[in-house]
Amino acid sequence: MRRFLPILLSTFIVTAHAEVDRTKKPEPGPAPEAAFPDYVTKELPNGLKVFVIEDDRKPTVTMRLVIKAGDVLDGDKSGIAGFVASLLNRGTTTHDALSFAKIVDSLGATLEAASGADSISVSTSGLTKITDPLLDLFADAVMHPVFAQEEFAKAQKRTFSSLTAQKKEPHALVGKLMSSTLFGEHPYGKFTTPESVKAITRDDLVKYHTTWFAPNNASLAIVGDVKAADILPKIEKALGGWEKKDVPMIKKAAVTPATGLTIHLLDLPGSVQSNVIVCRNGPSRAEATDLPEVNVMNSILGGGFSGRLFQNLREKHGYTYGSSSAFGYNKEAGYFQATAETRNDVTAPAINEILGELNRIMTEPVADPELELQRQYNIGNYLLSLESAGRVASRVQDIWLYGLAPDFYKTYAKRMAAVTPAKVQELAKKYLSTKDTAIVVVGDAKQVRESLEKIGKVVLYDTDLKVVK
Amino acid sequence: MLKPPFLSCAIAFTSLAFADAPRTALKPISFTEYDLPNGLHVILHENHAAPVVSSYVLYHVGSKNERPDRTGFAHFFEHLMFEGSDNIKRGTIDKLVSGAGGNLNASTGFDKTDYFLNLPSNQLKLALWIESERMMHNRIDETGVETQRKVVKEERSMRYDNQPYGSLFEKLVGFALKDTPYAWTPIGSVQYIDQAKIEEFRDFWKTYYVPNNATLAIAGDINIEETKKLVADYFSAIPKGAEPPRPTIALDKIAPSGPQKLVVKEDKTPLNASLHVWHACSERDPDAYALDMLANILASGRSSRLYRRLVDKEQVALNAEAFPELFELTGVVGVFATGIAGVPLEKLDALMTEEVEKVKAEGVTEDEFAKAMNQKESEIANSNGSMLSRAKNLANAHVFEGGTDEVNKQLDHYLKVKREDLQHVAKKYFSAEKVYVLHYPAAEPKGGEAK
Repeated sequence: MRRFLPILLSTFIVTAHAEVDRTKKPEPGPAPEAAFPDYVTKELPNGLKVFVIEDDRKPTVTMRLVIKAGDVLDGDKSGIAGFVASLLNRGTTTHDALSFAKIVDSLGATLEAASGADSISVSTSGLTKITDPLLDLFADAVMHPVFAQEEFAKAQKRTFSSLTAQKKEPHALVGKLMSSTLFGEHPYGKFTTPESVKAITRDDLVKYHTTWFAPNNASLAIVGDVKAADILPKIEKALGGWEKKDVPMIKKAAVTPATGLTIHLLDLPGSVQSNVIVCRNGPSRAEATDLPEVNVMNSILGGGFSGRLFQNLREKHGYTYGSSSAFGYNKEAGYFQATAETRNDVTAPAINEILGELNRIMTEPVADPELELQRQYNIGNYLLSLESAGRVASRVQDIWLYGLAPDFYKTYAKRMAAVTPAKVQELAKKYLSTKDTAIVVVGDAKQVRESLEKIGKVVLYDTDLKVVK
Repeated sequence: MLKPPFLSCAIAFTSLAFADAPRTALKPISFTEYDLPNGLHVILHENHAAPVVSSYVLYHVGSKNERPDRTGFAHFFEHLMFEGSDNIKRGTIDKLVSGAGGNLNASTGFDKTDYFLNLPSNQLKLALWIESERMMHNRIDETGVETQRKVVKEERSMRYDNQPYGSLFEKLVGFALKDTPYAWTPIGSVQYIDQAKIEEFRDFWKTYYVPNNATLAIAGDINIEETKKLVADYFSAIPKGAEPPRPTIALDKIAPSGPQKLVVKEDKTPLNASLHVWHACSERDPDAYALDMLANILASGRSSRLYRRLVDKEQVALNAEAFPELFELTGVVGVFATGIAGVPLEKLDALMTEEVEKVKAEGVTEDEFAKAMNQKESEIANSNGSMLSRAKNLANAHVFEGGTDEVNKQLDHYLKVKREDLQHVAKKYFSAEKVYVLHYPAAEPKGGEAK
């Protein structure tokens, strides 16, 4: 916040200056190396993996526990993992929901949990001086939540309204439609509905927690102004009593990749823009052995402001504010997506430009200067990302969650630096296609349907994601 | 493992012990600052934690500097600053930065337009070259203007026109701050950008993009003395400009004559939502800190008053928020709630009003006050992590907070606030006679098909 103070500037006026050659890009100094920071790893006797990343720039501490679980284990009732996560900080055996909230708020801290496709994460953050009480609360939420019926009923009620709201939110709709299109009956293709929420009982939550919350099924990262030697005994004291148990083996469900070119159009009448995702199935995180090289290929196509999609759809055609592409990797399967949000009358031309760029990267070798730019973009931005200790922690936990090679990030930059034009084209052909590609659109069908039919077969959906005959 | 039954007997206020804990010694951000002879203010922060450098240029111009028939101008101009310069070919700024392993962006607000570059630290000169080039001779041509007109329309659609409640902030300022230069948001109106001639954009640059209206902050893996020399090399040749005009507001003229109400009907509104807004102080008013703490007590965290009452106890709202939105010359403070499907707006209004009146009548408790102070302490401790956040906070403190050293004094200001001050500002600003109420009724009257 701001308040007036007399300005006491230590004014220093520089007078002498050399002329620089303004007509040329300045030459850089020697490039710094992208060294993955050191961290401490320890496994507690109960099987909990602990990682400590020391960072003294802020007097705070953040702890993040990741459980191998997530929405993928919801079974028939989508939403169970989400409710488990949202109720962890709403009542334990020693604090009811309100008293728990009062303590967290009074500490000036945050303590939240969230469920993702393959994991549930519980995070807490606060000043280092409250590390002890924060750790107690954290352990309490993880080990002793009560899932009170009253709190569960309130959460269900809120979820019904959130689902109502999502039927008007283009981003929420397009994400659901893409997941169901690519993953179908696989759990990744399922989403929470009013029916699934109604079917869930308190017992489902208790059972989920009992089954999957185990120290030998979890990892904990601690980031902040702490010393490993000080914090590890505290972690052991708070979480050492968490009992190890047998966790069932997870049987992977099969994914049947979507084939052919189909346009899945969700009608949201009155939309002034179409949300477009051109997508297809891709490798899981473990299968993606060429991930660093794929990053460079993808970034030529649609990474950042210099990617072809941005340059073409925005800077050349003015179709959209932004357009980019990405690969997403989950534990059991992955996907590729190229996205844009465009005004109604250029929806079809924008899709054609995206397909054109997919075709171009598969058929034409990339020129050296463009490849060099994207290699440097990826290596440099990887180096920049290492500034954030939080990002380092999530990468360390990803190595654990997805079972990656421990030295993955040690060779990451080197591998990106070695990508050749031939490699780019090989990977583009391996992972991209203009034929086996799903095109997902959320927009006003009256405005865009006709032009989309010229690109391919259109299947129409309503906002409940039901096919409209 | 079965859980024991829910413990209804709460262990209240166990946190008091921590509320009295000594304040954390925040690590001060060291800096060197000076003016170039052309008026450019330079702030340097040296930190070698990582081999990165962030440059941040703040121009003291935002949407409040626009004419009412040229809204959106400052933001549109921000897009034009990526076009090129006499020495940087059109459309290559992005590529220069990407190819150097960095990233870049910019933003436009009511009071400022800012540009940032994050780069590996061996590329410091590139940042200085790009920023000095676009300050010295930015290139504005027809091709760029025509393309960006389209792009900005899509930006407006994406962020606002195609989103439920996307118009909320625009409606709010148009309603509560009408007849001031804050009555429109930085995105502005599409028609005015279309009407503007290219000379107007060039004039805008000449008026506001002068070194004496700019602050350059650089943070990261740099050497102060070397950087001073480089900054002089790149920026000293830029001529000083005329002092840019500064808008003013006649605050007494905008006071409402009585409670005001605006109903915004949009087909894309899924749930009833209500917003109550009052005029407040500017960002450098001494009341700002008390108002900020009051907003925390009303709606920050699950033990806050509005959350407990509307979301938890009565279960009529999906979320509840309270915010001061304070600008350079004035500000607003508001409370907001989105209803559970089927809950009438009147119900939300009644409960929001009741909570606001209660805090006016009774003030806040010692525990609530201690809690808000701890929340602020955490927030402030968290605000200066990355090099970009440091560069940004330093420059903003210089321009808007009365001095660069304000980055290191944030907590002191809050510590001077007394508990009574919160009741005082509640009474002063939350007047039942001067409230602006905005309603977003759900498009489907039943609202709750997801039962």
